[in-house]
Parts: sequence; structure tokens; C-alpha cells
Amino acid sequence: MANWTDCLNFGISIAKQASEVVLSAFQQHKEVKLKSSPADLVTETDQRVEKILISAIRNRYPQHRFIGEESVAAGERLELTDSPTWIIDPIDGTVNFVHRFPFVAISIAFTFNKQIQFGIVYSCVEDKLFYAQRGGGAFLNGEPLYVSGQQDISRCVVVTEIGAERDDVALSTTTSNICRLLKLPVHGVRALGTAAVDMCQVATGGADAYYHIGMHCWDIAASAIIVQEAGGVVMDTDGSEFDMMSRRVIAASSATVADRIAQVIQAFPCCRDDEDNCRCGATGVN
Amino acid sequence: MADQWQSSMDHAVAIARRAGEVVREALLDDRAVMTKSSSVDLVTQTDQKVEQLIIQSVKEKFPTHRFIGEESVAAGESCVLTDCPTWIIDPIDGTTNFVHAFPFVAVSIGFSVNKQVEFGVVYSCLEDKMFTARRGKGAFCNGQPLEVSEQKDIQQSIVATEFGSSRAPEAVDRIFCSLKNVLSIPVHGLRGAGTAAINMCLVASGCVEAYYEIGIHVWDVAAGSLIVCEAGGVLMDVEGGEVDLMSRRIIAANSRTIAERLVREIAPFRPPRDDAPPPN
Repeated sequence: MANWTDCLNFGISIAKQASEVVLSAFQQHKEVKLKSSPADLVTETDQRVEKILISAIRNRYPQHRFIGEESVAAGERLELTDSPTWIIDPIDGTVNFVHRFPFVAISIAFTFNKQIQFGIVYSCVEDKLFYAQRGGGAFLNGEPLYVSGQQDISRCVVVTEIGAERDDVALSTTTSNICRLLKLPVHGVRALGTAAVDMCQVATGGADAYYHIGMHCWDIAASAIIVQEAGGVVMDTDGSEFDMMSRRVIAASSATVADRIAQVIQAFPCCRDDEDNCRCGATGVN
Repeated sequence: MADQWQSSMDHAVAIARRAGEVVREALLDDRAVMTKSSSVDLVTQTDQKVEQLIIQSVKEKFPTHRFIGEESVAAGESCVLTDCPTWIIDPIDGTTNFVHAFPFVAVSIGFSVNKQVEFGVVYSCLEDKMFTARRGKGAFCNGQPLEVSEQKDIQQSIVATEFGSSRAPEAVDRIFCSLKNVLSIPVHGLRGAGTAAINMCLVASGCVEAYYEIGIHVWDVAAGSLIVCEAGGVLMDVEGGEVDLMSRRIIAANSRTIAERLVREIAPFRPPRDDAPPPN
């Protein structure tokens, strides 16, 4: 069986190198372009960091494949095969980055035979490196991570995001989901502006659950394995098995809490990440 | 002319830092939780211990000063603001976060004289960020000056808010109506760190353009209110009038333009005032 530890260590080292580019741009003025909505932003730094990461990986592992947020936005085909594949979000939290809101992460996941083997989330401004390798546990700056283990939804802090969709269907669904959860009740709902860092709060035990509809595979592939290796669960928002291309996720401290959230929340229509020429709904890359 | 409140402010910074240490140490232990006005309005022994620590230390140095402290008020003390020098204390802003070890927890100390805030201290103890402001002398974080964002376009703005601890259906429905209205403007995004004091410091830091909430208390916002103003920001009531720190409603923004735009979207309601006489 292949051992991907060398790849993990390489991934960590290039994430740290790339973070220097992010941090030096963080305090500067940024030129911003819009992607799928007025709240879906991209900057030149996103694109530059992705190129740096891919080029470094290609140099070391010429046979490996890539799914990168900005490459896909530029027209590359998004297809997950059995090949060793790096799934990259160069800046998760681009809105935060533009505003200097200090939660910005480089997210790198690695799959083989379509299974996530390791994940790295580097929250650069906080200098917090979250990572996990399948079967090897989850860590933050070298310290092991464990989910809270909370089973009672009424004692949960839930993290989520409103996302980039601004059409009425998406906003109504998103806000009514939060409203229903609050009324259960839960202890509270939080939002830091990056799916990757949000999900890592579940892995640390600081939050008990995270859910999101509308994010992409590159936003959550790395943190999904970090949550699992910290003892948590990930699933689809309808309670079915986690599918990183579905654009829906619940990550939780226990299956009980995940199931309870799945009962309460509804998803709005979203094209899958691996669907070609998607024209449905008001979301999606194209 | 020497600043007559300088020694009070120096003491506030020192005691906030000490209180932050107590909070950090307590995070290593189990945090037994009690509830106050609802099943999600939490308090712990650490809240009470930290408030006592602050009040005792101030009483020793400044025996004529008065107090409005969250846990003292919960225990029955008055919440009426007089002209006397008054310390307005939230020992742990973000108690839910503290209970969960979600990393935003602040000690908040506002100081008022003649009902006007003269200085504010917010110590975000897990981030080790000390936010301070002295009336007329600017706002700072760890000694670095703070300035609000220059963004005047609401559609390029991030807004911070919280859902609060009321689960009364009417309040929750109004909160969600406001939320959806604000998002539909559209704005760049919505954030919620779980503490009013830190949300206000984010406005002062320029990372978000505005913060609004209905349901907070005077001790949550007294210190942050001066920090925002001294960083160049503005305060406003959610219906557009002058802010009233006892009204339990606030907008803190980088500019009147942004604040007034939010007023149009917020569905207002009136929680019982902090200085209302207690029910018989």
C-alpha cells in the first residue's frame, strides 16, 4: 500500500512557502474581480498562489493530477480520477483576504483512488497549521486534535457560512436553515468566512458542527479528513454518505448531532462540481 | 494638563490583562455551565470570579467609583448609570465561546463619567489583543493605531452581527428578516465571532465595515463604542437616531453612509432596556 507521508510533508512545506505570498499581499490594496456573483471574489494573489503550488508539485511529482479552484475557473476540466490528485484552494476566504479580516487559509487535499489520503489547512494570519493523514490522527501545530464528542444538539455551537449566492432562493433557504437551528435551540451559530477554517473548529472541539451548501470540493476536502481523523463525522446534508463533489456537507462531533442537523436543514439546488456545462440554478462555476 | 483618568485607565488595562490570564487558565479545566435568562444564555463560575476580581481591585484603588457589572446586575444590583465615575464591566464577553473553547473571548471594561464613556478596554484574551481607546486620543490594538475601513459602498462591505441569546420566536423572526434584507443588498458577507466587544473591535480595525445587533447589553458595548469612535467610526440606533447604550440596540460602522444604509434593512424591535426597573 502506498505511503503518502512524503507527499504530506511536501504539501506542508509548500503551503508555508505560499503563505508568505499571501501574507505580504494581505496588507496591500487588492484588485478584485467577480466570479459567479457580486460576493464571489477573486484576486491576482489567488491565481498566483495556485500557480506556485501546482508548479512546485508538478516539479516534484510529474505524474500527479490537479483540481485547483482558479484552474477550474479558467476552464480546466474538473474530474476526479483514481490517479494521485491534489485538490487546491489557494486562498479560502478571499472576501476576508480583500477586507483584511484575519481568517484566510491555503487548503490542500490529496486523493488516491478517489479517496482523500491527507489534508492540510494553513490559516496563515493566525499561523495555525491543521493537517491529518488517513489513519494517522489530526493535528494543529503538532498538537493532536479531538472533536468535542457532543451528542446533544441543544448544547452545540454550529459554524456555517452564508456563501456567495445572493439569489432569493439560496438566501431564503440559507437564512431559514439558520433560523430553524437556532430555535431547536442550539447554543449559537458562528461564521468566520472560510469553510476550511470553520470546519477545523469542529476538529479542535471549539465548535460541534459545521454545515454548508454551495461550497466546492476544494473548500472542504482537506478539512473533511481533518475532522474525521479528529474523531468526527462528515456526511451529506440529506444524511447520506459524504460526497465531496456534491457541494453539500455536514461535519460534526458525532453522528447523532450530524443526523439532527440533516433533519433540520434543507439544500437549495446546486450543480455538482463534476458536472459538465452546468446551467442549472443560480449557483455553480458556469 | 494631566489626564485625571489616566491612572484609572492604566489600572483597567492591567486588570483586564490579569483577568485574561484567569480566563486562559480556566479554559484548561472543565467549565461547569449555568443558565440565566434562557437555556442558551450561559454563565460560569469564571464569569463571576473575574467580575469580582476586577471590582475588588478597583474598589481598593478608587473607593468612590461605582460599577455596572454583568454578573452583579444578574445578582440584583442596579443597572442605572449616574454621573459618578462608573466602571461598566463584562468579565467574559463570549461566554458561550468560552464554554466551548471557540477562540473569541474578551474582557470588556468601559469607564464613564457624567454618563459619557471616557475610556474603553477590550482584551481579546485568546488572541492576546489589547484594544484601548481614550476619548480624544485615538484607538489602539497592542499599541498600534486603529482606523476604520474607508469603504463607503455597502455592496463592498462585510457586516458583523450575532443572533443573540433570545429564542423568543418574535425576536428570532425579526433578526432573520434583518439578516436576509442585509444579505440581499447584497453585501460581500456576514460574519459572527460570537462576542459583541470583539465584533466592535473588528469595525475599529477596518476588517469589517459595520456591526449591528439587537439584544446586547450596555456592558457588551460600552468599551467597544469608544474604540469604534476613536478609530473614526460612528454609532447609531438601529432606527437611525442617536445611539443609547442602555437601549440594547446598536449599529457601529465606519461611516454614517454605511450605518444609514443598514438602518433601512434592519427590522427593529425593543427588548426591555438595561436601566428599566426590575419587574415586581
